[in-house]
Amino acid sequence: MDLYFWIFAVMAVAAGLFTISSWEPLSSALGLLTVFIALSALYLHLHAPLVAIFQVTIYAGAILVLIVFVLMLLVSPGERMRAIQENASYRVMGGILGLSMLGLLAAGTKGVSDLICARSLPQGFGHPSGFGDMMFREYLLHFEVVSVLLLVALIGAIYLAKKNI
Amino acid sequence: MVTLTHYIVLSTILFGLGAIGFAVRRNAIILFMSIELMLNAVNLSLVAFSRYRAELNGQVMVLFIYAVAAAEVAVGLALLISLFRHVREVDVTRINILKG
Repeated sequence: MDLYFWIFAVMAVAAGLFTISSWEPLSSALGLLTVFIALSALYLHLHAPLVAIFQVTIYAGAILVLIVFVLMLLVSPGERMRAIQENASYRVMGGILGLSMLGLLAAGTKGVSDLICARSLPQGFGHPSGFGDMMFREYLLHFEVVSVLLLVALIGAIYLAKKNI
Repeated sequence: MVTLTHYIVLSTILFGLGAIGFAVRRNAIILFMSIELMLNAVNLSLVAFSRYRAELNGQVMVLFIYAVAAAEVAVGLALLISLFRHVREVDVTRINILKG
């Protein structure tokens, strides 16, 4: 299963390069999405299915959508959109993204065997039950602090984005 | 055989890409994306170490990083919108309204 790692590692690095080198911010966002998906597949590889799901839902689903939303608000592509869509690199990137999604889906349904092993994994490693047990016992204080942080960020973002400031 | 080293090297490369992007690019939104890239590289190394040591702590830590990243993006983009209303610009080299 070495190939699995190499495919997604190369995909992540290539998409990362594309993200920082692309001229158009929207193509950059597409590259970043590819990085997220490739990393999510690698998390499946590392016996972290829950983290892989969070990666797709939070990063690709929420944060990136927020970034693209603001992108459209500030630097609306308008007519340039057509030029972007006819750009070959954009299509290649879309193809790579689709392939990585397919790979992720296949790996998720089949289950990926472990590779790096210093010690044997306990039964059900990375499953939600053990995860939640640790989070709400050992890290309960951290969890509460993070909830306060999110509340502060929420209020701050609403205040900062107001019209007259 | 893929070892921990492979994952750490991949994480380092991604972090480096993010850092280079942050240093070189001038579009503020691409700067945000570079920061996200760096955060993701750190997440990858945390999950790899978690797998290596067969402990869940690293994965729980990743969840907290997600929360911090979400807060950072929300506040950062709100700042960006607020700034854009004033200067009509997303090129960070041209934003110099704090200059005395």
